[in-house]
Amino acid sequence: MALTMFGLLASPVQAADITIKVRVQNQVKDEATGKSTKEPIAGVKVVVTGADGVVVAEGVTDDTGLAAIVVPAKADYTVTLDESTLPDGFVLADGESERAVTEDNFVTDSVTLNFFTGNAERTSIGYWSQLAQRLADGARFGLILAMCAVGLSLIFGTTGLTNFAHGELVTFAALIAFVLNNERGWSLLVAAPLAIVAGGMFGLVTNEAVYAPLRRRQIGLISQMVVSVGIAIILKNVYLAYFGGRVKAYAAFNRQTCTELGPVCVTPRDLTTAAISLLLLVLVGVALQKTRIGKATRAVSDNSELASSTGIDSQKIIRIVWFVGGMLAATGGIFRGLDEGVSPFLGANLLFLMFAGITLGGLGSAFGALVGSFLIGLFVEASTLGMPIMPGADWPAPFDWLHDGVPSELKAAPVYVVMIIVLLVRPQGILGRRERVG
Amino acid sequence: MDAEPLTVNGSADLSEVARVARGALEGVPATPGAGKPDPIMTAVGVRRSFGGIVAVDVDRVEIQRGSITALIGPNGAGKTTFFNLMTGFDAPDTGAWSFNGTSLEKVAAHRTAAMGMVRTFQLTKSLTKMSVIENMKLGATGQRGEKWWNGVLPFRWRAQETAIEARADELLARFSLDHMRDEYAGTLSGGQRKLLEMSRALMTNPQLVMLDEPMAGVNPALKQSLNKHIRGLRDEGMTVLFVEHDMDMVHDLSDWVIVMAEGRIIAEGTPDQISSNTAVIDAYLGTNQGKSLLEDM
Amino acid sequence: MLAAFSDMNWQLIATATLTAVFGVDAMYFAIAAIGLNVQFGYAGLLNFGQAGFMACGAYAIGMTAHYWNISFWWGIPMAIGYATVFGLIMGIPTLRLRSDYLAIVTIALAELLRLIVRSVTFKKYFNGSDGINGFGKTFTEETPFNPSGKYSLWPFDQNANLFGRVMLLLIFSVASVMVGRMIADRLRGPREKLRVILPVVIFALVMLGAKQTEYGGLGFKSLIVGWLVVFVIGALIYMLMRSPWGRVIKGIREDEEAVRSLGKNIYSYKLQALILGGAIATFGGMMFSLSRGSVQPDNYSRDTTFFVLTALVLGGLAKVTGSIVGPMLYWGISQFISVFLFELTQAWGGRVEIFGVPLITSSSQIGAWVQGLLGLMLVLLMVFRPQGLFGNRKEMALDGR
Ligand SMILES: Nc1ncnc2c1ncn2[C@@H]1O[C@H](COP(=O)(O)OP(=O)(O)OP(=O)(O)O)[C@@H](O)[C@H]1O
Ligand SMILES: [Mg+2]
Repeated sequence: MALTMFGLLASPVQAADITIKVRVQNQVKDEATGKSTKEPIAGVKVVVTGADGVVVAEGVTDDTGLAAIVVPAKADYTVTLDESTLPDGFVLADGESERAVTEDNFVTDSVTLNFFTGNAERTSIGYWSQLAQRLADGARFGLILAMCAVGLSLIFGTTGLTNFAHGELVTFAALIAFVLNNERGWSLLVAAPLAIVAGGMFGLVTNEAVYAPLRRRQIGLISQMVVSVGIAIILKNVYLAYFGGRVKAYAAFNRQTCTELGPVCVTPRDLTTAAISLLLLVLVGVALQKTRIGKATRAVSDNSELASSTGIDSQKIIRIVWFVGGMLAATGGIFRGLDEGVSPFLGANLLFLMFAGITLGGLGSAFGALVGSFLIGLFVEASTLGMPIMPGADWPAPFDWLHDGVPSELKAAPVYVVMIIVLLVRPQGILGRRERVG
Repeated sequence: MDAEPLTVNGSADLSEVARVARGALEGVPATPGAGKPDPIMTAVGVRRSFGGIVAVDVDRVEIQRGSITALIGPNGAGKTTFFNLMTGFDAPDTGAWSFNGTSLEKVAAHRTAAMGMVRTFQLTKSLTKMSVIENMKLGATGQRGEKWWNGVLPFRWRAQETAIEARADELLARFSLDHMRDEYAGTLSGGQRKLLEMSRALMTNPQLVMLDEPMAGVNPALKQSLNKHIRGLRDEGMTVLFVEHDMDMVHDLSDWVIVMAEGRIIAEGTPDQISSNTAVIDAYLGTNQGKSLLEDM
Repeated sequence: MLAAFSDMNWQLIATATLTAVFGVDAMYFAIAAIGLNVQFGYAGLLNFGQAGFMACGAYAIGMTAHYWNISFWWGIPMAIGYATVFGLIMGIPTLRLRSDYLAIVTIALAELLRLIVRSVTFKKYFNGSDGINGFGKTFTEETPFNPSGKYSLWPFDQNANLFGRVMLLLIFSVASVMVGRMIADRLRGPREKLRVILPVVIFALVMLGAKQTEYGGLGFKSLIVGWLVVFVIGALIYMLMRSPWGRVIKGIREDEEAVRSLGKNIYSYKLQALILGGAIATFGGMMFSLSRGSVQPDNYSRDTTFFVLTALVLGGLAKVTGSIVGPMLYWGISQFISVFLFELTQAWGGRVEIFGVPLITSSSQIGAWVQGLLGLMLVLLMVFRPQGLFGNRKEMALDGR
């Protein structure tokens, strides 16, 4: 199904110039309504220097405040805004006229940098509101991650399989929704639910076609895990063959201005996805606690033999888990795609964070996965924000990086450190139970 | 010991060692937690709970050196858990226990084996993809070739290996497994696996052998020969602690019986004293064993 | 449509395939696979971070040039040191727990290592995403081979000297006898005859294959040295696994509680196996970077680990021969598929369609197809032939009992 769907829609991949786009805007906040508006500033000079300090290219912003500067290759550059070319009375909001661009920033062929100007004392965002913003973003990411991870955890709980192809399950629906939205021109409001159901079906098919037969043949869990690795490789490459390696944005909902909600600024889209995620997760939680199937699922996770002997059809439960887990992963994938763009690696890049969340919460516990992944999402976003103690006093030498926070290219690092500490101190995780010994 | 006849229960057939062991236990009162003249293992206040279930809650128990002690009790009484706790495979919530006077708290499972205390498992653990003789050789302790830097220097362990192999062959012959020597352990029958596991444990040269249901699933003829082997161990100076549900076997084999129910030691005594103990019969009543116990004794 | 097959350059396909069978990729994969075999095949440890260990080796060598400015020989002890530290970080928290944890932590930490070496933050040490280039010149330059010449593994190649000829013939015949006998022992039928016939057949095939190979003179020395390293490490592991140490390791794979009850410190043995396998893998990373004089962080992504695993499973777990022949076949197959698809795309006018479904519309998709098919191979192997080519069917049959 995946094959034909993508096959029909495969688009030729064209080469484009590699550009750094610099946008310079003046940010004005209306104190009465609390809304902020942005106006472009034209005629600002921007210089791009290479890693060796030699000027590579220059550009001047146009009427839309944009300067598109073509660079020879995806590499590391420094982009400097010439402050003397700013109109009189305008200053850079954060005072930083230099920005670093790394090769990794070129996920597509272009990188966009935003410079904001404004009245210095108003727009330099305070530490606490920055923190609030990060936490809000982190909470949203945490919810998405939790949705992706619940399925992984339930599958592990009921079948014992650590599914290394779960990331590809997340990607699947995001790609389907992309194809329907961008290439078929369907509304995302139609495409997304369809893709979510497709994601659930995909999970179900994976179980029926691969893992259920393996379980029947009594193939060991380690072998099943290796099979899931193989499936991850296959899927990733099928996606890659038809979709190309670039990150692409959904046609729908991708230009929204944020509204201020207390200290934070969120777009209506983000608010909606967060609300839906929260709602779905609460539903899952309630279903696990209250419904017959939910209780049966937990029983199978606890002890599948015992559950079978009490008349629960554990294979049916496993099918339901794959379907529901697939749908949740699909939803998470589409929401993530709205945030960060869609690529064949979308889900695979989340897999480690899901694992970390599940480990933190307790392997095999669905609630643990939920809580753990949420915390991990929060933590990832927050860790890149520094912790300046106070003006004048700061962290002593080995901890000076705490001032600026973890560089965003390494924002996964603290997560892994947390994961290892959890395994050392409390291997059963926050909500997991201690292993049966002997 | 080889000449020992297969008949059971008659004290006339007892070996010298056995007579000494029974003699030593004669003066011991038949009360739970009774002190023994020469305990090889002592456990005090050992408690282990899983969630709400208290699996083991032993106030005091001592095992007499050189004796064969049976540990009996209904299913779920906590016998296996007790074995796990004593051998370091599980950690108790509270409690102290010692082997040969050395405290075993905080001693890792693999160290207890090196100290001379070896256990077998209720569900046999044979290393199926290794040959029977490899299984046996794995049991020997203090092998130089088990250090990785010696591994590629055969001259450093060849001589020791030959000696170990000879000892393994001897044990295999004794347990009538010699014809299976080079087969994969996975091809053995259930009973043969029990035998293999026991003889493999003996490769560690233990002082105390703890056998968890060594005769479960073993046919009667083989049971008799196992019975003989276990006595042989005692006659060689080893102490044996074993778990068993078959009361005939317990009665035939043991010098002393300890009864567990719901995690506690509820009775101790010689086999004869236990078979007339009402607390024991109460503990078994209501379970399947209850009836058979009454019939057996 | 079928006519297009005859337009394809079969000579090129054969040369590319056979060159890959004995090539640098197969060589460094073989080293990494021997290491992974110690961990996964023998000890049952699911290490999904082998690429991280390989990166330890590659960067140990790279850093001697980029950061320390010392002879690359220092890279060897450093690599082993890094592998030990890396193995300890991975193993200490996880080896007491269920095997899933090891898989999760190793894959995560290997990925973290890659993020660190390619980061701008640590550019001073590892030179970021550019990697480290142009080192190991002393190694490549002191070579008996003409840098611009073409070499093959054909013993009667005009470029070969007497020593090379004798060595190649010797190695080929020994390897043919080993592999041939091993296959014969796995087959039903007239074993005694097969034990003679198969080595001869394999020798003939190897000689025919070697004649097709073609390597540039610049990397030829690293190729030869690399295969020598494969041979030495393989022999050492073969011996180690027949020692009492190997017995404990194999016992742990079967049932660690049983081994523990016999007085072995299984935690320590598992750490040893993890670190030993990792230290071996560093040689893979070292030989690979020496052969190109370059270290690229993205060569050590998780896909690398997965493909080493695929190659190992192809050869057969817990067999030294399997871990060497597996990577050779893996790269042969991989190269065959990719050159075949490339030629096919050319012959069919830049587009491959089956039943109207466009499978390949641009040659940039071929890489993805090759990897996808190799992933499929891993799945099929695990399901239908978990013992790989050299594994023991008898051992596998014991699983069900
Ligand atoms: N790891 C564990 N987690 C939870 N409960 C456990 C665990 N181990 C043992 N138990 C419980 O502790 C109790 C004692 O179990 P144990 O295996 O020690 O019994 P036993 O006396 O060996 O029984 P049997 O004669 O059937 O072998 C049982 O109720 C069992 O369910
Ligand atoms: Mg028991």
